[in-house]
Amino acid sequence: MSRFFQYLFDGLSSGAIYSLLALCLVVVYRGTGYLNFAQGEMSMFCTFLVWKLNDWGMPLWLAAISGMLIGYLGGATVETTLIRPVAKRSQFAVFVVAIGLFLGLNSLAGAIWGAPPQETMPSLFPNEPDDFQRIFGASWRYQSIGILIVGLVVTGLLFALFNKTRFGLAMRAVASNADSARLVGVNTGRVLAASWGLAAAIGALAGTMVAGTTGEVVPGLMFSYFVYASAAATLGGFDSLGGAVIAGLTIGVVENMAAGYAPKWIGQEMRLGVALLIILGVLLIKPTGLFGEQKVSRV
Amino acid sequence: MALVTIKRNSPQHIAVRVLGVLLVVIAVLWVPTKMTTGNIDSMTNALALVIAASALNLVIGYTGLISIGHSAFFGIGSYATGVLVSKYGWGHGWSMIFGALLAFVFGFIVALPALRIKGIYLALVTLAVAVLFPTMMKWPKLEWLTNGARGISGIRYEELPSLPFLGELKGRDDRTVFFYWYAIMLVIITVLVCRGIVKSRMGRALIAIRDNEIGAEVMGVNLATTKTLVFGVSAALTSLAGSLSVARTGVVTADGANLTLIGSIVFLVVMVVGGAATITGPIIGALVYVWVDNYTRTASASGEGLIGWLFDWSAVSPASIILSVALIVLMFVAPDGVFGLVRRLARRVVVIK
Repeated sequence: MSRFFQYLFDGLSSGAIYSLLALCLVVVYRGTGYLNFAQGEMSMFCTFLVWKLNDWGMPLWLAAISGMLIGYLGGATVETTLIRPVAKRSQFAVFVVAIGLFLGLNSLAGAIWGAPPQETMPSLFPNEPDDFQRIFGASWRYQSIGILIVGLVVTGLLFALFNKTRFGLAMRAVASNADSARLVGVNTGRVLAASWGLAAAIGALAGTMVAGTTGEVVPGLMFSYFVYASAAATLGGFDSLGGAVIAGLTIGVVENMAAGYAPKWIGQEMRLGVALLIILGVLLIKPTGLFGEQKVSRV
Repeated sequence: MALVTIKRNSPQHIAVRVLGVLLVVIAVLWVPTKMTTGNIDSMTNALALVIAASALNLVIGYTGLISIGHSAFFGIGSYATGVLVSKYGWGHGWSMIFGALLAFVFGFIVALPALRIKGIYLALVTLAVAVLFPTMMKWPKLEWLTNGARGISGIRYEELPSLPFLGELKGRDDRTVFFYWYAIMLVIITVLVCRGIVKSRMGRALIAIRDNEIGAEVMGVNLATTKTLVFGVSAALTSLAGSLSVARTGVVTADGANLTLIGSIVFLVVMVVGGAATITGPIIGALVYVWVDNYTRTASASGEGLIGWLFDWSAVSPASIILSVALIVLMFVAPDGVFGLVRRLARRVVVIK
């Protein structure tokens, strides 16, 4: 049983990160209808900035908040200057710009901070070898508990933002019908920029936590997390916030259980394979995901 | 208004076209006879990219299906050649044909979700394929076939033929020249296949699907057959590039160049920079890509010139940074790529009616 709880808990902890990144993808998708392929690289780049600020002597929590602020401004700038002008032309143009950002940020990080830099990144949470609590025979590391709590708090705040504030109302209006929203006086441009900024800021937080667990920042830091997050967003349905969170946690638990109980067949190598099979399976059987809505289009 | 107007199929028009073909033939002959060995090798590299980008162009440029999974098809070609040659003693040619057939089948299967889903969802499926492929090749359960993370080595194509017009082929330089011609042959096949598809009834169907899918279906285009078929053909062509690169280098590893997602992105960059939905675009794109890559590598290493001075701080070659900036800038100023830009400028001078 202790193995079960260990896998369950480890799964929930990594699932919390997947949920956070999946939320970023969903926030951008709801606003603009695009999948942000550069999401993972945006958070990786912000994480490098957090590391650098910390390296210059700023306390880590302050560096993380500054990283999120920089991420917010960066995300909003990217939307207004790079994405919006080409979005009018075609979805493919947006895709190409996102791929350009992906490649650009990745190589820029490698160029500025060395390739591959083996830097020590402190964790936001206590992370000594004996910083854990035994519950049900499983070791619950403070680090993992912290990630889980931060994940839940951010999710709660996002839900409050979307459902309780005027800004959230504007965001939902833009998501459901951008033209009508503009007609009733919603500043759609500001809403779209804010949703990209928000996604980048949450991504920066997720990246900082990921780097804290491994202790180093590398240009490929967020890549596998981005794949897991897109699996989560797909499973949850791309336009559902709750779906993304539930799916993120589910995928975390499923892949940990699969890797733990079938070490020969799946093990550490094929963990990513589980997530990808989930993407393929969901899209083949139920393309709208578990909580997504079917889009109706006019001819 | 254009300065010169030429009638289609008039003697002048034919003369211009013959001149164009002659220039291409001269360029193709000039490379292996006058260039240094290193540069011929770079050209072969560019030709492999021409094959992959042209194949990708069929899917993205003409049909409008977004794929970032073509590195997997490149990998299928590489691994088919690697495994069949090193473990089963097949010839390189047969392994290439088998790889292409295998890639066709895989491409067909990958396109099946495309029948129900569109846009980003299809991009996600192909993303999954691109990421899954190297993972699968490193899977311990497949180690008996793929040698796991170590990869396969010793697949080099050794029995160089002595052809009458090439002379005896031995040694390093002649090897390079041989693979250049090998690549040229595959590029010709690829370009002919792409041209054949685009100019045929199927090509019109592809463009109709891209421009208005529902409209195409109403006009009698069989969406399922067309989409799966074009994906299969594109995958098979991409696998040729994979087989070629393995025959040239003699090794294949799961994380090797062009086999990971980065490979798919490189193909995409080549296609977009050259010009999507044109036959010539990927050729120009590959030349630009390889030139930028080589030039920035040497310039940043020696610290000379504008690039060396600009990227003095950079720890690695700034080629990817320059290319990604170029990609984004191109989307603003010339979404139809370098070839599209040149064609638009040329039309100010000469118009063919």
